Amino acid sequence: MSLKTALGFLFIVASAIPALRAGEPQIYFKNSPPVEQLRPFYDPTTLSLLVTAADGRPVTQGWLEIRLDAPKPSGFFSTDFPLVEGSRLLEMRLPLRSGRAEWTYLFPIRGKYEISVDFVTAEGKQATRTFSLQVREHTNKWTFLGIFTLALFASGMVAGRIFTRASRGAKDKLVACLLLSFVCSGSSAALAAREEYSGWLGVDAATVGKPTRVHWRLSENGGGGRPRAALTLTITHLEKSKIVFAVERLWVAGEFSMDFHFSDGANYRVLASAEIPGYRTVRTERYLSVTGVEPQVAAMLPALSFFVAVIAIGLGVGRWSKKAPPG
Amino acid sequence: MEKTLARGCGVALPEQVSFLIKSGSFLTACAAILYVLLAADYPAVHDTLHNFRHGLAIVPCH
Repeated sequence: MSLKTALGFLFIVASAIPALRAGEPQIYFKNSPPVEQLRPFYDPTTLSLLVTAADGRPVTQGWLEIRLDAPKPSGFFSTDFPLVEGSRLLEMRLPLRSGRAEWTYLFPIRGKYEISVDFVTAEGKQATRTFSLQVREHTNKWTFLGIFTLALFASGMVAGRIFTRASRGAKDKLVACLLLSFVCSGSSAALAAREEYSGWLGVDAATVGKPTRVHWRLSENGGGGRPRAALTLTITHLEKSKIVFAVERLWVAGEFSMDFHFSDGANYRVLASAEIPGYRTVRTERYLSVTGVEPQVAAMLPALSFFVAVIAIGLGVGRWSKKAPPG
Repeated sequence: MEKTLARGCGVALPEQVSFLIKSGSFLTACAAILYVLLAADYPAVHDTLHNFRHGLAIVPCH
């Protein structure tokens, strides 16, 4: 057997291994826009999961228990939301519809996110998968950081030249121009439909750094229980006018809850809209102010040390440029 | 100012020592200014420079 044939055989066997796990449902993950275009706090991303049975057909019954974890702290510098790093961002259970579950999410920081998914049926847990997703930082932020660093270096260099005494007889020829420009409780309204059903939306006191319980439910109709409804739940960051989380037309049995981590200390709107067959749409809305938490000084030290070090290097270069003999 | 002091006190510091003192003072002042601009939580400063802090990508905010 030639080497080429052996390698080909090995490839076929390796490809067939997942299929050999007979009876185990498969979970597939897709995101839109693609990973290359994802940026923190930019555009919401549509995340979708597909569960297929062993025969390749989408499963008809079951739920997905989804947990989204933020990138772990890594490297010398932190991101601009250090309290979010390494935390649980989302924990929820979505029912499958034609084998699919879909939601929209706005990633808050750069780094590698982990999505753990459990496929659960009435008989218990059937399959588990973990997916990862890399979100890169905005290019213009790196450019801005570069410009700011250069400005600090230039200021250090100018100071280094000024502080260095010129040699006798030499004329000071210094024109420096520095330009630093710095650009820089909730009320609730509920109940549109007053005929038979009304909605209730509860959001616990939200603080950056820990997940908050978001709970929605329909009122019971004279002891008849809660009806099935197609729930559309949207969380909007009001200052940035961006949707940070959404699920659309999710079929639920009159109630839905999840743990959601509000990553920015700002004002948000949570809007739940439920379509109940044969009834008017029930709309429930809640505004909340998320308590921001200032990061610890230790998280700021790397960036501040870096900036001061750049100025110090500038000072050294400025002194050297003044002392260096001409020509 | 350095020349006035030297004349008044009758002593002149060596050039290297003078540079070290001036550089040290300058770096301390820069560190204090950077701390106020980028790290302090005084509402007026923080609110004005909030977007600037986030724009730098490596400066923690909330």
